[in-house]
Amino acid sequence: MKYEITIGIECHVQLKTKTKLFSEVDNDARDKEPNSCVSPVDYALPGMLPRLNKEAVKLAIRAGYALNSKINLYSRFDRKHYFYPDLPKGYQISQFYHPIIGEGYMELPNGTKVRIEHAHMEEDAGKLTHFGSYSLVDLNRAGTPLIEIVSMPDIHSAADARDYCKELWRAMTYAGVTYGDLYNGNMRFDVNISLAKPGAKELGRRAEIKNLNSFRSVERAVEYEYDRQSKILDEGGTVKQETRGWSDASGKTTSQRSKEEAQDYRYMPEPDLPPLRLTEDFVKEEQDKVPLLPRDYRKSFKGKLPEDTLEVLLDYQPLMDSLSKVKDVKRISNLYASVLLAEEKSYEMLNDLPSAKQLDDLAEMAEKQELSSTGMKEVFMKLFDPQMKNKATRDIAKELNVIQENDTGALEKIVDEVLSDPACAKAIADYKSGQEKVLGFLVGQVMKASKGKANPGTAGQILKEKLA
Amino acid sequence: MNITREEINHLAELSNFDLESQEKEALSGDLENIIKYISELDSLDTEGVEPTYQVFEMENIWREDEIKAQDADRAALLKTAPELHNKPGVEDYQLKVPKVL
Repeated sequence: MKYEITIGIECHVQLKTKTKLFSEVDNDARDKEPNSCVSPVDYALPGMLPRLNKEAVKLAIRAGYALNSKINLYSRFDRKHYFYPDLPKGYQISQFYHPIIGEGYMELPNGTKVRIEHAHMEEDAGKLTHFGSYSLVDLNRAGTPLIEIVSMPDIHSAADARDYCKELWRAMTYAGVTYGDLYNGNMRFDVNISLAKPGAKELGRRAEIKNLNSFRSVERAVEYEYDRQSKILDEGGTVKQETRGWSDASGKTTSQRSKEEAQDYRYMPEPDLPPLRLTEDFVKEEQDKVPLLPRDYRKSFKGKLPEDTLEVLLDYQPLMDSLSKVKDVKRISNLYASVLLAEEKSYEMLNDLPSAKQLDDLAEMAEKQELSSTGMKEVFMKLFDPQMKNKATRDIAKELNVIQENDTGALEKIVDEVLSDPACAKAIADYKSGQEKVLGFLVGQVMKASKGKANPGTAGQILKEKLA
Repeated sequence: MNITREEINHLAELSNFDLESQEKEALSGDLENIIKYISELDSLDTEGVEPTYQVFEMENIWREDEIKAQDADRAALLKTAPELHNKPGVEDYQLKVPKVL
């Protein structure tokens, strides 16, 4: 590459608390009318005082664990001042000087380590809808608790930028910190991108692409910016330090506002909120509630299943949880990856997975060749069928009539019948004269005679012995 | 301490104030006095003294995560919306503001 790209990412994560960060109103505004989840605090009526939501602090502690970060036992809030109609107070309550989450890191699937500079709690702003000559303000989202995760500029490719965002999403959803609904803006990414000649000591000027809400758009925006900025540099120009917006439809970034004059937010300590001083015990109690994370699964499944299968399944926490309880990880993971996820309605099926016992039985029956691979898939899918899912695996297999005949005694009898059938005489002669392909035909005859219940492998074996 | 016209302009912009020229003049004098007064603190040696953020010595003031009925409902809150161009500043239960981008 002609230029080295350097990327830092800020990620806003909406926490899944019942109420807002500083007011006791409903934090879930999906499908609710505008301004119906708003208190005088969110509306910033004079004299209203913020009251901190303890649950938000707890979720931030869990997030810190998922980020491999240390939790700062002492933290407090600051005011960040700016004027915008989505922020009635004229300032956002954030943590500037003493954030709750300290340094940490995320490790990407390819081993790249991205350091976390810090992460802090803050409140979300309202939502603006723009019309011709005016804008409308809905404050349902104002005051939703967020953590903002700030990475170090450790990312050097569009693919790593995408993977980092995805890894954050996995870590935050596994840790139970957020619903992680990207379409509804539960996680939003601001991506800082700069280019420099290889080996240059200083980073180039950066552009910040705001408010990306999918992994794909992060990747595409970085690719676009690489092209745009390298063209400017090729022509001897300088990249403007500015905020840019991304359009999925046009596949382009466009200038939003110039950042040449440094923003002056006039941070000051928030006098309405006393500081937090947490105990080690309080922090530990919260972090102990965090279930297994992607990094734990990568460690425990290393070598037990192919990496690409693992990476596909890691997008689905319930599958990983289920896999960690079954004996035959390889077989079940294959069924999940290639059968379940191929289903159109797999997303709904994920909510109610078969028990470990059902899956272990299935794997055991397959292992003993009581089920053909087709039969296994058939039974597997029935484990998600509302009519069947509560039955034992073996009962389902019986009902479907797919249990293979492995009883050699019974099979031998069937084989003898087939071999004595005059219709097979020519095939037998052909086989004996060296045409081994004919064996397939004979196995087919055995399958037919057994009504499909014979194990074709075993049947072939017996046929060979008898014809030898 | 001298407050320049440029600094006054910057502060006015940050505060969203539309100031007349004579107001700016008066303000730079006022601000100079205030800063001079506060600057007396600079004569103290504060080496090694932790900044004071509050004087109540309270910590961990938080509440449980429970939804509670509010004193003011949406109708009452929207009633406080200022007019826009001599028309009600509310549309579709939302606050109507001059176009921003």
